Amino acid sequence: MTETKSSFAPLTAYSPRKKAQSFVQKDSVVIEGVDISGQWNKMFDAREITSYDLTHMDKLTAIPGAESMGWCYQCAQCIPACPVDNAGGDYGPRKIFRRLQTGVDIFNHSDMWLCTSCQNCVRVCPKEVDMVQIMPAARAAAVLEGNVPDELVEMFQNVSEYGNPMGQSARKRVKWTRGAGVDIRILPKDAQPVDVLWFVGDYYAYHDRGNDAAQAMARVFSRLEIDFGILGADERCDGDSQRIAGEPGLFEELARHNIEQFEKYEFAKIVASGPHAYNAIKNEYPKFNGGSGFPIEHYTQFLSQHLDRLTPLLTRPFAKKVTFHDPCYLGRHNGEYDAPRKLLQAVPGIEFGEMFRCKQQGYCCGGGGGGMWLDGFAAEHQTERLSENRVKEAIQVGAEVLAVCCPYEVSRFEDAVKSTDNDGKLEVLDIIEILDQCME
Amino acid sequence: MEHNPILVIGAGPAGLEAARGAADLGYRALLVEKAPVLGGTPILADYAAITPNMENAEVAMKRMVDAVADDPLIDVRLETVVTAAEGDAPEINVTLSTPAGNEQMAVGSVIVCTGFQHFDPGRETQMYGYYEYDDVITLVDCERMLKAGSFVKPSNGETPKRVCFIQCVGSRDRQIGNFWCSKVCCGIACKEAIEIRQMVPDCQVFVFYIDMRMYGFWEDEIYWKAQDDHKVNFIRGIVTEITKRGDQVVIKGEDTTMGRPVEVPMDVVILSVGMEPSEGSTKMAEIFRMPLESHGFIETIGGALNTVTTSRPGCFAAGASTGPADLEDSISMAGAAVMKAAGFLRKHSLAASKSA
Repeated sequence: MTETKSSFAPLTAYSPRKKAQSFVQKDSVVIEGVDISGQWNKMFDAREITSYDLTHMDKLTAIPGAESMGWCYQCAQCIPACPVDNAGGDYGPRKIFRRLQTGVDIFNHSDMWLCTSCQNCVRVCPKEVDMVQIMPAARAAAVLEGNVPDELVEMFQNVSEYGNPMGQSARKRVKWTRGAGVDIRILPKDAQPVDVLWFVGDYYAYHDRGNDAAQAMARVFSRLEIDFGILGADERCDGDSQRIAGEPGLFEELARHNIEQFEKYEFAKIVASGPHAYNAIKNEYPKFNGGSGFPIEHYTQFLSQHLDRLTPLLTRPFAKKVTFHDPCYLGRHNGEYDAPRKLLQAVPGIEFGEMFRCKQQGYCCGGGGGGMWLDGFAAEHQTERLSENRVKEAIQVGAEVLAVCCPYEVSRFEDAVKSTDNDGKLEVLDIIEILDQCME
Repeated sequence: MEHNPILVIGAGPAGLEAARGAADLGYRALLVEKAPVLGGTPILADYAAITPNMENAEVAMKRMVDAVADDPLIDVRLETVVTAAEGDAPEINVTLSTPAGNEQMAVGSVIVCTGFQHFDPGRETQMYGYYEYDDVITLVDCERMLKAGSFVKPSNGETPKRVCFIQCVGSRDRQIGNFWCSKVCCGIACKEAIEIRQMVPDCQVFVFYIDMRMYGFWEDEIYWKAQDDHKVNFIRGIVTEITKRGDQVVIKGEDTTMGRPVEVPMDVVILSVGMEPSEGSTKMAEIFRMPLESHGFIETIGGALNTVTTSRPGCFAAGASTGPADLEDSISMAGAAVMKAAGFLRKHSLAASKSA
């Protein structure tokens, strides 16, 4: 075979075929009366890969912390583990790597924002491609460039201005205490030494259903005669999800503020309502107070150490089929799987059963890593919410109650119960609410 | 007890190791090499660095050559080939064709270390245009450029910006008749990719593969090193064909993990050619009446637990004369073969002294 000049193959400099590139993805497309707006009109993109443009890959892997994005060897173990891919998101480190390698600009792409930092891919990745390190680093760069989904921008502004993602005033942080029916010491008003500094958290303090759990916690602490106090209006958002969502500066500001409050009081330990605050205070805050940190426990860890006194108080039977959703930041991120289960097993009359994906393999609720404030964005890129996927599983295993112990989860799962037409079939309760209900 | 020398045919890595081993054990070795220099393919084909530890090939081979050069027990014959053999070990009479004419020698045992030859990508099929396009080269051509210290686009001497390797050229191919995996090409492509990235840091390097076969420590020592530290891009899916457009060669294939067609211009395409039985191996098999196995390499009969014994008593084979082998295999086999050759001679001597 020899090369000959022919009218079909002129010897000109190579340029990629333009065949299908006149079509681009439209925000709104209607063809023959059918609205095909959204993700799936990308079928009009060119199929041919005409250049492996590594600009964005190189840019990403040059960011300290994001280097391991370039290590993927396509084994694909991460994809079945990725909750976003499970929810129809066409996602996961393997796919992100390939898209980057084929020239996709992740800094202007939904791939940057769908990861919930659940760590399930990191658990299975043989090359240690670490999304939990990659994503915060990459997002911080995207935030600096101003490429952030609107929903996140609003949340960042709220946290920055008000100290909580809801944009509520600091004064209202203690409003819930009035309905608790027990005395709650607010440390800024009564600075005497205390055994337990309870870090209440934004969702317990401000969200309706979080208030229920906060009040339950106060009652349980009281019945256990625990000497506890809260920071009240001086507490601010723990900042961990903001850190993962790409605002390390805001995180540091929040961390320094909360550390300053902690340092004002004498206490034996901090107990956090939420796994995200627990993770931040345990693993990140030490970076801002000389490495010493603070003794910190998640409330399930704390209470499970008091089962000898707690169990006799649980006198009212809770005769329901209950399953439990492991929070990513309590389980995979911090290795705690037993404490919440110990509490549930102490509940009289309970019929406890696991979901298929539990403990190390636990499925993500979708709230982590900024996902809590990206429901609208995620909806455009997934066929269902992660919380919906999870709720269906709880129903599939025959649960009547989905027990949780992360403040993000009650509202997420309750919404998902409704949106999957399972209203009345599954109750979502914080473990602390179940314990509270069992006390006379 | 005086024995006939152990004949070692071929002075590449395996042959040099076998000759040195024989002398170390106190046996005489007759080391016969067709080329005018010692060192075998790493030297004759101008390898830049050996795989996997990336030591300079000349330095590494010189160390092996020096180990045989001045040993009184080793008789080194360059530009010499074996043309005939009569009788059975330990009394084989071989005819050597030397620059000074034919010579008859009696040898006690034989170790064939005649290696392999690189697959010629133009021999069976022209689909990659190796003989048509200057910028389509092989792993061997690439080694030569790397050794010379200048990796350029051969057609015009310019610095390349995009280079790719195509794996499994001439291997794992029923049509060509080479059913085997050549074992070393994945590692060598990674090694050369690293060297290109070091030599031309702005050059992007891609490796198109079916599956990367990086057994043992090669996995992290070269494959991961290439990807993680040197940002070499591995893309699953073998290129189907190469065409020329302007002054670039355009590869056409499928990116299988994306399920998308690929049509990408490259400055240089490197064909990762595999191993085939060398002419010397085939000839020696004939002269010493050693059968070939089904792929055409010299057959060893001990299976997994004896990789060097042939069906001809006293005749052994080591290295790539027996099938695709990396340097680690070749050196290990040479050691095993010389041990078995020495053992063969000793047992014969013991038997002879008992019967005497």
